[in-house]
This record gives sequence, structure tokens and C-alpha cells, in this order.
Amino acid sequence: MTVTKILLVDDEVEFVSALSERLRLRNYDAKAVYHAEDAMPTIMKDKPDVVLLDLKMPGIDGIEILKAIKKFDTTIKVIILSGQGDREIADEGIKVGAFDYVMKPVDIGEIITKIEQAKKSR
Amino acid sequence: MRKIFTRFLNTLFHPHDYFRILGRDRYKSLKIRIVLLDAMISLVPLIIVVTISYFWFQSILKEDFRNQVKWEIENTEQSIEYFVDGKVSALRFLASSYSYEQLSDQKMLNDIFTKFENEFSGLVDLGLIDSNGIQQAYAGPYPLIGKDYSNQEWFNEVIVRNVYVSDVFMGYRRLPHFAIAVKKNCPEKRSFCILRATIDMKILKRFASTINLRENDDAFIINHDGILQTPSQFHGDVLNKFKLPVLIPERGVSVLDLKELNGGPAIFGYVPITNSPWILVAVVKSTPYLRIPKIFRNELLLISILSVFIGVTVTFLMAQTVVNRIRKADQEIEDAMAKTEQASKLASIGRLAAGVAHEINNPLAIINEKAGLMKDILEMSGDLQQNKEKFLGLISAIFDSVNRCSTITHRLLGFARRMEITFEVIDLNDVIKEVIGFLEKEIAFRNIRLELKLKEDLPKIESDKGQLQQVFLNIINNAVDAIEEGGLIEVSTRVKDKNTVLVSIRDTGSGIPKNKLKSIFEPFYSTKEKGEGTGLGLFISYGIMKKLGGIILVESELNKGTTFTVEIPIRAGDGEGGHV
Repeated sequence: MTVTKILLVDDEVEFVSALSERLRLRNYDAKAVYHAEDAMPTIMKDKPDVVLLDLKMPGIDGIEILKAIKKFDTTIKVIILSGQGDREIADEGIKVGAFDYVMKPVDIGEIITKIEQAKKSR
Repeated sequence: MRKIFTRFLNTLFHPHDYFRILGRDRYKSLKIRIVLLDAMISLVPLIIVVTISYFWFQSILKEDFRNQVKWEIENTEQSIEYFVDGKVSALRFLASSYSYEQLSDQKMLNDIFTKFENEFSGLVDLGLIDSNGIQQAYAGPYPLIGKDYSNQEWFNEVIVRNVYVSDVFMGYRRLPHFAIAVKKNCPEKRSFCILRATIDMKILKRFASTINLRENDDAFIINHDGILQTPSQFHGDVLNKFKLPVLIPERGVSVLDLKELNGGPAIFGYVPITNSPWILVAVVKSTPYLRIPKIFRNELLLISILSVFIGVTVTFLMAQTVVNRIRKADQEIEDAMAKTEQASKLASIGRLAAGVAHEINNPLAIINEKAGLMKDILEMSGDLQQNKEKFLGLISAIFDSVNRCSTITHRLLGFARRMEITFEVIDLNDVIKEVIGFLEKEIAFRNIRLELKLKEDLPKIESDKGQLQQVFLNIINNAVDAIEEGGLIEVSTRVKDKNTVLVSIRDTGSGIPKNKLKSIFEPFYSTKEKGEGTGLGLFISYGIMKKLGGIILVESELNKGTTFTVEIPIRAGDGEGGHV
């Protein structure tokens, strides 16, 4: 069984570093980028199975990144990391092709379930 | 008048007065204005009516007085006419009753004269003149027998007209008198003689004086040449020339109003005396009609005073009612505005909620992950000692996040405080930074450039922090909504003068059209999509600044941007409380 490659894209460094570490503790190949502009180059290089993506980042439209990922490789599953107040953006993300979304603060069990579902659906 | 009235209405209903703190003085002056206006409306017609009545009554009295003068002149004229006619008849009777011989008998004539004198008042003498003009017989106090009258005018007149009444003249006697002469034909002698009586002028004077005269009045007789026949009080003695022009009418009394005669108005009346060469004249200078009867004057005064009293009382009561209603309405508006303010505040808070939730979610998510990681490490490795440094780092990150949350909740609490104004000494720059704190996420997401040009040594001000925050939040929110991505918002502070500081919020947004600029402070005016804005933000802000003694000014250019400038007094109570 191959290790699931996960890329986390979020500008909240403290959040995303802890979350990625927790995923690694659970034997995922988790990697984090903190700047939106780093997202696509890393995806193109690493070709992750699942991307955990924050849609609200300064100076860039998260939906555009989502579209770019789907354009690059439709098999990469994107799970949106959404704040409580950003339900509408998350819904929009689903329309554009995101697999699912999770609300911050996230429950690690919930996020793993979703990652597994996403992997299965590939 | 119209202008005054419009200004008056404006002060009553000017929309910007919604927020004016309505002091007692304003209601007092409003009441005074209403009373004055009402008093003008009700008392002016009253004064006009009373004045017109007064002058109308005076003109009636004057007309009445003229008629009285006319009537007296008429009566006196008739008395003189009867008198002269009586004398002429008496002489005719004598002339026809006695023969020439009898009348030329001196003794007989004396007899007749003596009898006649008793009945004939004013009679001076009686004479018989023959056809040659020589006085044949004479009864009277003067030695006039043998006098020749053939060259005198009256002699020739009486020959032609049979009867002659002369003007007043001095004659041989050197006393003013007039003569009545009748012609007696003596057919048996184929000749004639003349019976002539002279009468003292005083009799005419007595007649003239029967006209009811007051001190300044004058009544007298003139002849058709204007020569005085009786003495006048103001126009000279007998046989002097009367100076006023007299247009002799055919008959009847003429009454003229002279505006000016010897320093005052006068009534000038005259009438020709029938069957005589005379004109009866009255010059009345007294003006009893000017003295309106006391009763009428008192009644008029009483009615006027009563009307004024009632008018003023009613006006006062009315003004009191109106002002009370306005005061009540103002109170209701203020109450409603307070509720609206609270509602608007809640709406603003709702608007903020999304941003705040996002902001709080982030540190919560960090806490969640850090705590989760600690749990994971404990569960999975169990070696605390090996991970001590890591744990301390995680705990520190948790504290940082907790601090982040508490900063946000503090800001929210500050914002959501009660509406009452509480003045405190505050640093305006800090207030602005805190407001920016609420909005910086949204500004960052919208890729809007924010420039703060806060003057470093800005004096501390005495104002209400929460209220000012709301004002800046409303204005900056509008700026964020008005500009496209990549636009600029510049917030600057500076000192205007020793009493005032300024906060300018400039955006490079779409701008406000000139015709809409005047509406932006009105309630429920919004250019945003339906459901996006309450239309209360600037209205509330305007009200808040008025309460704080400041003002909000706005300048805008279409497609270039808008600048809102908020002027804030440095010390509470220094403000203009005022005008935009």
C-alpha cells in the first residue's frame, strides 16, 4: 500500500504546520506550503493525492487555484479548509470540483475520514 | 415676508435638526416666533379695522358738521330775506296808503316815522324825495331836508326798478347803513316820488351773528363786489374788501373745504340773499368733528383692548400647544433614532460577524491543532522528557492564539458598548488603528492598499471612543465597498487648529455623483445592492458626530474617489455642534 501524499495550502503557518505534523504522525506523506503562489509549482512537482486548500488567502483568489489544480490533474482531490463564516465560498469550491470541505477548527478524525474517502474515490 | 415664513418653517422642519440636542431655549424662541407670527396675523387686521372705523366715523362727523353749517347759513339767509321783504312791503304799504301831500307834510311824516319806528327795528330815518331827487320831507336824527340825491346811483335804479335795496354805505351820516327805497307814482301830477328808509347796518350784523359760531368762526355779509357789508372778525371791518374768491351761485348754499386758511383747515360756506345785493358768508375754523365723542372712543378702545387680550391669550395657548406637540414629536423622533441607532449598530455587528468569526476561527484552529498534536505525541510516543522543548513551543503557540482571541473579543466589547456618550481621554491614532484591525483582513483579501498617515504628536482628545470607532468603521467600510481591487484607502490624522483635530478617509473608488451627495446623510439612503447596506451608516455617523460636537464633511469626484473628513473637538463641549 502506497503512502498517501497530501499537500496543505494555508497562510496560517502555526495551524498548517501542526496539522501537517499530526498527519505525518498518522503515516501520511504530508507537506505544507504557506503562500498561495507556491501551491501550483509544488503540486506540479509532487503530484499529491489530496490537497487541503484554504480558499481565503491574502491577495489571491483560492477558487482560481482550485480551478488550476483541476485543470492540471482531475484526479487530484481537493478538500477545502474553510472558516465558519466562509460556507458560501466552500460551496462554490464544491461546484468548481472540490471533493469536500471541512470547517476550522477541524477534528482530526473527520479530516482523516475525508482524506480516506477522497483517496478511495480516485 | 415669504422669506421670513420659509425660514421659520425651515427651522421647524429642517431634516438635519433630527439630531440637534433640543434645548429649552430653542423651544422658547420657537414659541416666541409662533406668538409673534400669530399676533401679526390676528392683530394687524384688527388694527386696520379699528383705524378705518375711526377715520370713517370722523368723516361722517365732519359731513354732519358741514350739513349743520349749511343748514345754519340757509336759515340765516332766509331770516335776512324775510326781514328785507318785510321792510319793502311796509314801505310799499306806506307809499300806497298816503298821498304825496300827506307824506310831504313834515308833521305827518314825523308821526308816521314815530309809529313806524316801534315796528321797524333798526330804522334810522324816513324821507320823501321828489322826482328831481330833492328830499322834500325827512323824519330822523339828521338835518337832511333839501338834500339832492339826483346824482346818486340808487336814485336812478329806483326810478327804473320801483324798489331798490342798497349796499351798505357811509353816506352823509358817516355811519354804515343801507337804504330801502320804493317809488310812488303820482298819476294826478304825472310825476313820481320816492319813499326812502335807511336802516342801521347793525341789524344785518345781528342776523349774521345768529349763525351758531365758536371762537375761531366768522360769519358776515358781503356784496357782489366782495365788499364787507358787516364787520368780520378775521377779514376786516365793514366796507373793506373780502379777499377770498367767491363764485356766486344762482341759488342755494355753497360749502367748500379749505385745506389751509390761516394755519388750519376751514369750512367756507356762502349763499346769495334773495332780493338783496348781498351774500351771506361763514368761515368755520373750529373742528368739533375731530373730537370724536368720548363714548365711541372709549367703546372702540375697550373692544380693541379686549380683542388684543383675547387674541394674545389664544395665541399663547396655541403656541404652547404647538410647541408642546413639537417637543413631544422631537422626543419621539429622538427615541426612535436611539432605537434605530441600536438597530444599525446590531446590523453593523452582524456585518462584522463574518470577519470576526474568520479571525477567531483561525487562532481556535491553531489551538485545536497544537493541542491535538500534543495529545498525538503523548498517545503515540509517551516520552514527555524527549519532547519537552517541543511541548513548550506548542504551549507558547496556544497562548499566542488565546491572546489573539482575547484581543478580538476586547475590540468587540468596546464596539458593542451602550449608546450613551462617555467622554474619556483617548489617542485618536490608536482608535483608528483598532478600527483598521477589524477591517484589515477584508482589506487584504480585496487586495486594497491601505495607507495610514497618522500624525505622530497628535494631541490626545476628550471624546467617546466607542462612538468614534463606529463612525470610522462606517466610513472605512463604505470606502472598502466603493473601490475595486487594487484601489487605495488613505487614512490620515492632523491638527486643524488649537481646538480641533481632523481625520480624513480618502478612497480611490467610484465617487458619488453631485446630485446624490446631498442625500448621503439622509436615513435609509443607500447605493448598495438590496440587502447589502442598511442605509443608516452615514446617517448614524452624522448624528454621532453632532452629539460629540464635531462634523463630517464630504468631497467627491466621480470615478476619482471620495474624501470624508471628520472634525473632532479636542475638548468635549468645544465643538460647533453643527453644520455640514
